[in-house]
Amino acid sequence: MISNQENPVSAEKSGWTHFAAENEVNSGEPKISKIRGKEIGLFFVQGKYYAVLNHCPHEGAPMCAGKVGGLVTSEGPGRLGYDPERKILSCPWHHWEFDLETGLAVAAIRQKIKTYPVKTEGGSVWVKV
Amino acid sequence: MIIDCDVHHCLESNEELLPFIPEPYRSEVAEYGLRQLASGIRYEHGGHRRDLKVESGGPTLNSPEYMRKKLLDPYGMRYVILTGQTGPVAGMPDPDYQAAICRAWNDYTISKWLPSDERFRMGIQLPVADPLLAAAEIERLGDHPGVVCALIAGTASRIPFGQRFYWPIYEAAERKNLTIHFHPSTTSVIANLGSTAAGMASSYLESHACLPQFYQAYVASFIFEGVFEKFPGLRVALIEGGVSWLVHLMWRMDKEFKALRRQAPFLKRLPSEYVRDHVRLGTQPMEEPKKKEHMLQIFDMIDAEHTLMYASDYPHFDFDEPVVLPKGISDDTRQRILHDNACEFFNLPPLPERMSAEVA
Repeated sequence: MISNQENPVSAEKSGWTHFAAENEVNSGEPKISKIRGKEIGLFFVQGKYYAVLNHCPHEGAPMCAGKVGGLVTSEGPGRLGYDPERKILSCPWHHWEFDLETGLAVAAIRQKIKTYPVKTEGGSVWVKV
Repeated sequence: MIIDCDVHHCLESNEELLPFIPEPYRSEVAEYGLRQLASGIRYEHGGHRRDLKVESGGPTLNSPEYMRKKLLDPYGMRYVILTGQTGPVAGMPDPDYQAAICRAWNDYTISKWLPSDERFRMGIQLPVADPLLAAAEIERLGDHPGVVCALIAGTASRIPFGQRFYWPIYEAAERKNLTIHFHPSTTSVIANLGSTAAGMASSYLESHACLPQFYQAYVASFIFEGVFEKFPGLRVALIEGGVSWLVHLMWRMDKEFKALRRQAPFLKRLPSEYVRDHVRLGTQPMEEPKKKEHMLQIFDMIDAEHTLMYASDYPHFDFDEPVVLPKGISDDTRQRILHDNACEFFNLPPLPERMSAEVA
């Protein structure tokens, strides 16, 4: 992953922080930066940006080292499907699955990952922390 | 200070192992690779944590340097016990091939890993397809100062591990003061056609959830076959089975024994008492009940203060950090689980301050 931990990005008074240039993050590796002491990863998945706290709510694994993929679905035993349009981030340690859109865990558990609003403006990607 | 009872070191490549493999197997492995028992079930990314990646200019993923950087140094490990890979040997039906690869793995670990960091200790792989060959391996390496246990792939065997067929191993281990260290293996479940007590599960998820079933069978076998009466100095560690299942097994064994004592008349004590003296469990993967107080109750029921030993299972995906121990246990219990129980059970040198405290 692209890590910029030593140089925290500057913050604007509105709460939006410049995170990256629009072409800087492509699908695959996220960019990790520190904003206000928080390590945040910026993912670019199917044309959209997602900002995620680099911390799994389960046991604190570096969430942004996980894999992003679609969702394995099922209508019942013996009937498996796959929804490639869902964006699921799996924890690199215990593989817990979280939906990047909502932050919610896929399994019937109450944990969620912390996500942040993202916008693109002026050729840049901004995150609100 | 922490002792980690289960750390899987890996080869950089099969070529690393070749110099340690005797002929005729060396030529075979050079040409065809190590023999394979395919599991038919999937654990993603080789079963490893996804965050373990090589950094530019940094050490290779399977190097001692990388393990130092990701495990020993950040967690303040005093010792880690290297348990290697079961795949190359576990369940292999050819006992001579199994013995040759076990010896090679052990010699490779002694040659490369032990000298690279004074915190490394190791288990020796045992070719259990022939217990006499396994005993010979204990005889060969049991006195090595870096060897603290003898490894047995503890999922699925043809017969339960407490039976007399395996007693040459325990005789040698007791004599050499080596702890027996059971660890799961998917290849042994393939070889013995059962990844659960009910047969072959169709997913890793199911088989791993059912892993304690094997350890339940082995504990019962060790006790009701009289292994701990025959070998009163023997110590047995059960790794990666979690911990909570032990409560029920102890209760049930004691109840059954009170009724059916005549079927194991050589036992002088209750089964649960043998567990307390001879059996230890690795903490990983620690169970996570909804009510945290339930875990503390389990800890009390299994005498966790004395029976548990921290294990990380590094670099596997279901890795547990030392902070996985529940809040609410005393500092002394935490110290015992993170360090002291393993120190005693694997015959490692005690901490100097603990020695002073005991002398005082």
